[in-house]
Amino acid sequence: MSALVIETSGLRKEFHTRRGRHIVAVHDLDLAVPAGGVHGFLGPNGSGKTTTIRMLLGLARASKGEMRLFGEPVPRHLPQVMRRVGAVVEQPKFVPTFTGRKNLSLLAGSIGAPSSTVDAALARVGLTGRDKERYKGYSLGMKQRLAIAATLLKSPDLLILDEPTNGLDPAGIRDIRDMIRGLGESGVTVLLSSHILAEVQQVCHSVSIIGNGRLLASGDVDDLVGAGASTTRVRVADQPTAAAHLERAGYTVISNGDGALHVDGATGPEQITRLLAEHGLYVSELTPVRRDLESVFLQLTKDDTLATTATTATAGTATATDGGTA
Amino acid sequence: MRLLLVELNRFRSRRAIALMLLAAALVAAILATTTIYESRPLTDSDIAAAQAQADAEAQQPYVQRDLARCEKHPRRFMGPGATVEDCEPNIVPQVEWYLYRPTLSLAEERMDSGLAVLMIVSAVMIIVGTTFAGADWASGSISNQLIFEPRRLRVWLAKAGAVFLGTLVVSAVVLVAFWVALYVAAESRGIPTGAAVQSEIRWMVGRGVLMAGVAALGGFALTMLLRHTVGTLAVMFAYAVGGEALTAALPVAGAGRWSLANNVFAWLGDGHEYWDGTVTCSGGAFDCDQSVVLSLAGGVTYLGVVLLVVVVLSMFFFRRRDIA
Repeated sequence: MSALVIETSGLRKEFHTRRGRHIVAVHDLDLAVPAGGVHGFLGPNGSGKTTTIRMLLGLARASKGEMRLFGEPVPRHLPQVMRRVGAVVEQPKFVPTFTGRKNLSLLAGSIGAPSSTVDAALARVGLTGRDKERYKGYSLGMKQRLAIAATLLKSPDLLILDEPTNGLDPAGIRDIRDMIRGLGESGVTVLLSSHILAEVQQVCHSVSIIGNGRLLASGDVDDLVGAGASTTRVRVADQPTAAAHLERAGYTVISNGDGALHVDGATGPEQITRLLAEHGLYVSELTPVRRDLESVFLQLTKDDTLATTATTATAGTATATDGGTA
Repeated sequence: MRLLLVELNRFRSRRAIALMLLAAALVAAILATTTIYESRPLTDSDIAAAQAQADAEAQQPYVQRDLARCEKHPRRFMGPGATVEDCEPNIVPQVEWYLYRPTLSLAEERMDSGLAVLMIVSAVMIIVGTTFAGADWASGSISNQLIFEPRRLRVWLAKAGAVFLGTLVVSAVVLVAFWVALYVAAESRGIPTGAAVQSEIRWMVGRGVLMAGVAALGGFALTMLLRHTVGTLAVMFAYAVGGEALTAALPVAGAGRWSLANNVFAWLGDGHEYWDGTVTCSGGAFDCDQSVVLSLAGGVTYLGVVLLVVVVLSMFFFRRRDIA
């Protein structure tokens, strides 16, 4: 068995809009999701996340490239591997006039799962007692829970979740995060597509970031964020003089308009305090700022947007839009 | 088989479908009740009421005036050869005039209320097949189902099987109940039905049940192709009505062969005779018979080809298309 649960190679999705526009939603994407743990799948709206997920699940056809799930080529061997895959793509989709239980029972029936599986899945997401209500009367949070319950009917080895905490209240978000974390720790591989970067950073072990259908970065969250890399925010009365002294001492200093200096390269804040005090400058704020996933994400997607804009201007190739790929 | 059972369960559980099937049964019941009631035997009170009505009408001044005129000049009033004896029975209202009520005849009802109930049931089954598929697309639940069973042809076939079997059973129950009601009414009134008529009705019910199932299957297949209930119904309406108008209006020889209605009637009635204005005769205009007979086989071929095209296109596109 392959150590990678999801692999794509040169995956591409092109289509034409009704107005004849040529859209490239996914550009030769090479994705690798290792077995076990929670893998974040990040990207701005319209970056091709959902299209990629839909291709992996056989809901959309790839224009080019190869995909493998559990080492098996898909969509050719999809029927064999889909028994091991649970997924929620975009918002939950059930028959509105059926009860939550009825919706799950029909899905369970299609894979031959016993009714006790439905009970267990409902209990797992906290919908026991509300399962006999019609789906159309459910709150958004309940709908999300039901969708997650549906994924659990298969006892999956791979769980693909697209914005699973959308619409949940804070307690619900915490429960679902705990559940995802628990599933990851129990050996299930979870691919978590989310816009909530803090959520991904809290829950995920590894992450892939895509923009405009291209892979921008991939790896362990700690590696991407840069373990230990930090800046120090320094507030001082005479900023120009302080910046000059710090730069002379070898630090990188950025003033980004928030009334403070951001100093890179200091191994400890005490070095900055000492240096400035030696020159008669006394700090009013000295805060270590850790680099987070959000800053990495924003930097990567900003760079990609700039690159794509330049490419578009020269090649005239349209890239995916939010509505086009979602 | 497992998928088929799941889809039958889905079919049975859809409230909109249950309501439509109930409506079909209700319409059939109303038609049967109306037919039986309007052909009920005359009672003594019916005769007494008719007699009273005839007597009251006979006292009207204009009746007496006409009677007097007729008796004075019977030939002028009634025409050549009329005598005085002809005046009263033709001018003074008779009790029979107010007692007209048809006798229940299963042979006549076959192509009257029998055909009506069959057409209504088939129309309802088309909507049932359409809404069964349309709901999956409208709710987006089809994508969820495909995550559980990615073999799309199996999913399509299971759903189609559920629609066909479900509508077949309900149509059979409704149509058989309709004819049993008429048969029981005729028997209770001592009206002979005849083995030949019974046999014709059995064949018609059989063909009707099959048509209802096939109509539902066609509605389902077209909706799986177009992915929209209302859009499908609009296309079907345009095909049925627009197609009829086109075959009637086009000055093309034999255009009636392609009329949906003619082919449906040929299927239901074991052949169908229709008028075709484009038929030319070598004899005189008065001797020219412009009727054309469309055989049962012709109707079956036409409807079969239409269904086959829709089913093949539906399966092909469902297998290949991207599901949102």
